[in-house]
Amino acid sequence: MKDMKSTTGLSLDRRQFLKAGAASAAGVMAYGLPLSQAIWAAQGKVLRARSYADINKLDPGFYQNAYNVDVMNCIYSKLLHYQPGTQWGTELQAAESVEQVDPTHIRFRLKKGIMFTDGYGEMTAEDAKFSFERIIEHNSPIAGDWGPLDHVEVEDDYTGVIVLKSPFVPLWNITLPYGAGHIVSKKAVLEVTENGGDFGMKPPCFSGPYVLSDWRPNQVVILTRNPEWNGPKPGFDEIHILPIGDPKTAETAYRAGDIDFTHVSLSSLEQIKAEPLPDTALEERPSLYYVYVGMNTDHPKLKDINVRRAVQWAINVPQLLEVGYFGQADVATGMIAPGLVGHRDQALVPPEGDLEKARQYLAEAGAEGLTLHIDVLNESKFTTMAEMLQAQLGQVGITLEIDVQDPGSFWTIGMESEGQRWKDMQLIIQRFSMVPDPYYATTFFTCDQVGEWNWERFCSKRFDKLNAEAVAITDESKRAKMYHEMQDIMENSGAYRFLTHEGAPYIYRESIMTPATRPDGRPLYRFYDVTSA
Amino acid sequence: MPPPDTTHGDTPAKNATHGDAGAFAQHWRQLCRNPLGLFGLALVVLIVLSAVFADFIVPFDATQVMAGPRLAPPSWDHLMGTDQLGRDVFSRVIMGGQVALLVALSSLAAALSAGLILGLIAGFGPQWLDNGLLLLLDSIRAFPVIIFALAVITLLGPSLATVILVVVITTIPVYARVVRTQTQALSNNEYILAERAMGAGTGRILGVHILPNVIGPLLILASMDVPLIIALEAGLSFLGMGVRPPTPSWGTLLNDGYNYIHNSPWPVIAGGVPIILTTLGFTFLGEALRDIFDPKLRRDL
Repeated sequence: MKDMKSTTGLSLDRRQFLKAGAASAAGVMAYGLPLSQAIWAAQGKVLRARSYADINKLDPGFYQNAYNVDVMNCIYSKLLHYQPGTQWGTELQAAESVEQVDPTHIRFRLKKGIMFTDGYGEMTAEDAKFSFERIIEHNSPIAGDWGPLDHVEVEDDYTGVIVLKSPFVPLWNITLPYGAGHIVSKKAVLEVTENGGDFGMKPPCFSGPYVLSDWRPNQVVILTRNPEWNGPKPGFDEIHILPIGDPKTAETAYRAGDIDFTHVSLSSLEQIKAEPLPDTALEERPSLYYVYVGMNTDHPKLKDINVRRAVQWAINVPQLLEVGYFGQADVATGMIAPGLVGHRDQALVPPEGDLEKARQYLAEAGAEGLTLHIDVLNESKFTTMAEMLQAQLGQVGITLEIDVQDPGSFWTIGMESEGQRWKDMQLIIQRFSMVPDPYYATTFFTCDQVGEWNWERFCSKRFDKLNAEAVAITDESKRAKMYHEMQDIMENSGAYRFLTHEGAPYIYRESIMTPATRPDGRPLYRFYDVTSA
Repeated sequence: MPPPDTTHGDTPAKNATHGDAGAFAQHWRQLCRNPLGLFGLALVVLIVLSAVFADFIVPFDATQVMAGPRLAPPSWDHLMGTDQLGRDVFSRVIMGGQVALLVALSSLAAALSAGLILGLIAGFGPQWLDNGLLLLLDSIRAFPVIIFALAVITLLGPSLATVILVVVITTIPVYARVVRTQTQALSNNEYILAERAMGAGTGRILGVHILPNVIGPLLILASMDVPLIIALEAGLSFLGMGVRPPTPSWGTLLNDGYNYIHNSPWPVIAGGVPIILTTLGFTFLGEALRDIFDPKLRRDL
């Protein structure tokens, strides 16, 4: 038999190979390492995680949805990022320093040597200026994230000053550390777009610790190490993000070993605690999500506020949460979660509602025997809640039809840019992600957002005024009162019935990773670490 | 004056009609000799009876939430336990059978009728019409059923009627093709040619000679399609594209149960077993009928 020669001159025949293999296996077992983990350790370190939806936008200037930002966090850099852990806070990332010079001026200085891939050179203050200003210039859907940005002054290659037209408190909480704060290469973006606009799903270059290596729609997003990255080395060689809409399916995938990190549904929590999964840690985090029943105020059947109020009062929130979340989620009082500025102590409509009052509203509207339909995402908690809602509305004589939608269809229902479906939308169970500033919740319900993210088509001048003013208020109690009023206005419109902020439990394989998440459990993949053997 | 009968009792259809009572007894004896066929018949009868008398059998309203504790295991109160909304699973299984049979039988009836008419026209009509119809039928058949179903449901919205429509459209070409082939084969037989020579009209030839000979194989084929259609309805409902909640369907039972399988396996079992039994029942019965009415096909197989 011909020997296999290694480059070091050692020879290895079949018998020696088997011996060496057996010795290695024995060594591994003697060391106490499970064989599967040893095999994993011998291969590239791959983080396999689940996302609740597939990516559909990788331009941070035009980002949509948190699941896109999860990927952007890995492939781009920004001045600040949320610090991983259980307390909200930010840390410097691409910036050496960021300081508030006065209420409308913020000076930043970039770290030297942060490189864009594909030969686009070093990140400069000019790139930061371009990245921030293009969001305003192109009237991006997330222009609100930059609020009153006027312009960015470039002082030298690394230093710039963000100039605001008026003070903007959320800049520190959401703008800089979240999606809109990512910095792209001016040269690269201008090359692939006509005028620096949206480059969609084709990033011309990267500047984070990972690059987008492959994207198979609805299958997997693969991120690999950025060879040009010279910052802190991330723990994993590759990150595989699998879009799995239903958390129950994700739990099954986790049990089958297809993924090693996933959020789990609250309805599974009790069972996972009772029968812990092997090699698995469970962490529970309070969530900032807000879930509500929304009503399209422009729909002929719902134009009468009495009909909307009838629906509001017919809904028994604790009952919905009991079936949807197995009693593991608390009732929400509004959009803003406990612990954030603007959280209300109680809603205007009591959680249990009042069937008699609902019937009165319905009679006032002359809408007895009404038939409505509700769109829900095809997740078990939403469909289950919708069926309970069907029973609840049935008690006051409203027939509710349920339309279950897959994520691709659901997330465009109310968008005018996606066709005419918004006209048919009536009721919806909606769930939005959130970052730790109340502005991020309210800003999607202004009149400008009608047909964008404001699918209820709720429009109040008073609300818009408060929303614009509150961002400049640094006094927390005064600011909180403004957000209380805004939520009151929303609720008084009859278009909203707030349900819950859910919770954010997640599970992961202890032998593989030490996860790094925001306090609300949102993954920060670039900080995930490999468990040391 | 009607043309004289020239068939002299020598066509298969005429043979089959000789002594109906005797033939039935003979077929019944043949079926009794086939244990799988008998088992299939028993299952089919059981399923049909439970669907027909569903309203008298179910102990609870199948849509009543909180009829019992959520995800409870089987008990005397709830024979198959309860689902995530506390609904009685046994009641939902029985009422789901009604939905399954409604979809299967109504869509089969519509598809058979349309397929029969189109197949007769294609097989007995002029060549250009045959070509045109074949092109249409093959175009429909070219669509993968599930993809076609998802497209139609996306356009029209999920409902029982949409599911039936999908099944009808996708099964018509199958039956039409079978009828067309049979019709073409039969129309060249000597007794048909003789009938024509004697001045028999198209209606008489189709109605008296061809139709009785194609209807048998068609019904056998249909009986074997029942489980396929039930599985299609269940599959669409499992994907949330079938019947609308809270209408019970075996597919939605499976979907709901699957989501809570780690909390309670009973809803999945309750949703899965009827699909298996129905499939077995109709398949065994269909095969037995095929053996009885078309022993040549059995030998060929």
